[in-house]
Amino acid sequence: MNAGTDVDPQLRLERALARFLAAYQARPDLVAEQRGWCPVIALSASDAPARVMVALDDGRVAPAAAGWIVPGVPTLEVLGALDTLCDVLGLRLDPNEPYLFGELTVAGAEADFVRLDYIASRLCPR
Amino acid sequence: MPAVTARAPGQGTLVATGCGTAIACVCALGLGEIDRRLGGLWSVLAVMCAALLCAALARALGRLAAVVPSGAGLLAFLSRGLGRRWGLLLMLPYVALVIAVVAVEARIVGAVSARLLPIPPAAGALAFLLFTWAVARSGVRPGLRVQAVATGVLMIGFSSLAVASVIAAARRPDFLAQLLPAPPSALALLGGIGQALFLFMGFELVTNQAELVRVPGAISSALSRSVRLLAFFYALAALGFTTRAHGSAGAGREGAAGWLTPQLGLGGADSSIAAAAIRILCLLASFTSFNGALLTLSRLVYALASQGVLPRRLARMDARRMVPPDALAVLLAAVVALTFLLTTHALINAVLAGSAAAAGLVWAAAVAVRERPPFAEPGRARRHQVAALALASLFLVFGLSALAESAPASAATRVEIAHAH
Repeated sequence: MNAGTDVDPQLRLERALARFLAAYQARPDLVAEQRGWCPVIALSASDAPARVMVALDDGRVAPAAAGWIVPGVPTLEVLGALDTLCDVLGLRLDPNEPYLFGELTVAGAEADFVRLDYIASRLCPR
Repeated sequence: MPAVTARAPGQGTLVATGCGTAIACVCALGLGEIDRRLGGLWSVLAVMCAALLCAALARALGRLAAVVPSGAGLLAFLSRGLGRRWGLLLMLPYVALVIAVVAVEARIVGAVSARLLPIPPAAGALAFLLFTWAVARSGVRPGLRVQAVATGVLMIGFSSLAVASVIAAARRPDFLAQLLPAPPSALALLGGIGQALFLFMGFELVTNQAELVRVPGAISSALSRSVRLLAFFYALAALGFTTRAHGSAGAGREGAAGWLTPQLGLGGADSSIAAAAIRILCLLASFTSFNGALLTLSRLVYALASQGVLPRRLARMDARRMVPPDALAVLLAAVVALTFLLTTHALINAVLAGSAAAAGLVWAAAVAVRERPPFAEPGRARRHQVAALALASLFLVFGLSALAESAPASAATRVEIAHAH
């Protein structure tokens, strides 16, 4: 399930985020639904030195610099174990599940997290 | 770098949130029951004992929220400390009883609205449920500050009425006898303290704001201050209720509707303007309580459905409003059904006592979990564990006493209230 655990944690997280964003951008209907949403989301591993950020502008993914560093302060910070974050970004795990049981925490508006969970659920219908 | 929290609520708003989620009209019913069983300063003693326990709980919850700052609150804490299965099992009765309490609240709204407007209580209850559901369904969320203002108005309004009741009663010759009735039995006192726990149920939801508030100690401080403010408010209200029993025409009103809405007999309820003001305050309290419960519970139902614990159909999300419509509809149906099922004193008393017991159980677990990983600090002294065990035991004992004490009383007051008006 967590293939590649011997890879550098930062690289693992970046790859997982890239996969998630590719899946998101491949769904123009879903992107269109998020029109007007402009969060800056950071995902940080609680058990490894790994952190990525992504900015959305009007629902569309804004171009990011190398290492997924986005200028500005995140509006939503998601914190969890590296495996959990990679599973969520890899669409193997519904983000609501670790959230509900306290294994994934967020700082910022709950509405942003609800929307993030909605996007994940649409990308990976259960 | 922490996330931007430009709209993070301040300490006052957090305290008001803690008080607002705890205070509902059904609390007046709880206070009325405590007054009936204990009365006078014994009721105040029960409230203060419950407040002391909750103050200790607030300290534990502050630690839990600092380690796991989650909007999922108690479920997240208990799951991290005891595992997912135990977390869910412990929360299940609590959540079920919250739904039942909302149904009781709807009955109270029905009784109150029937005194404001020429409509049957059932119609008022149903209109209240449908209106609150429609607001939640539309995706409109009353802001924390708006709720804080509403809570402030409520607390000031009812405190003033309670003070007016006491002042009015102080002129009567039997005032001291009212304040110091015969001592209750030990079981009645234990049950009264257990019932008083119910009054504080919901204050712990301040921890849900941990996602917005990352100022160290802010949640912990808000929890403690909420308990202190609630203790003062309920103690004052308890005194008002004791004096109300002989102090106003409204209080003397026997019958089901009077039993269901003891707060309508407070203070200057004999004046038509004051009476209308109390009734509007009651509706406001009920709306903010049910709205909050609907939003929180619908999110829980949605999450459980998305994992297959509940039917997956309930995990549908409205993309525009970001609310789970099917989960909200199921909750509405459950509350409406319970509103029409909970028709007797016995059943309603059982809901109140059951809620106190469920809160006692969950709070005991929270206190115990605070002494376990990942919440306990390394090398934490053993005396803290002993104190936590004692506190958890007290929550269980008082909660069970509330249940035990409610049984005979409920049987004795099995009066149909379905058509109360």
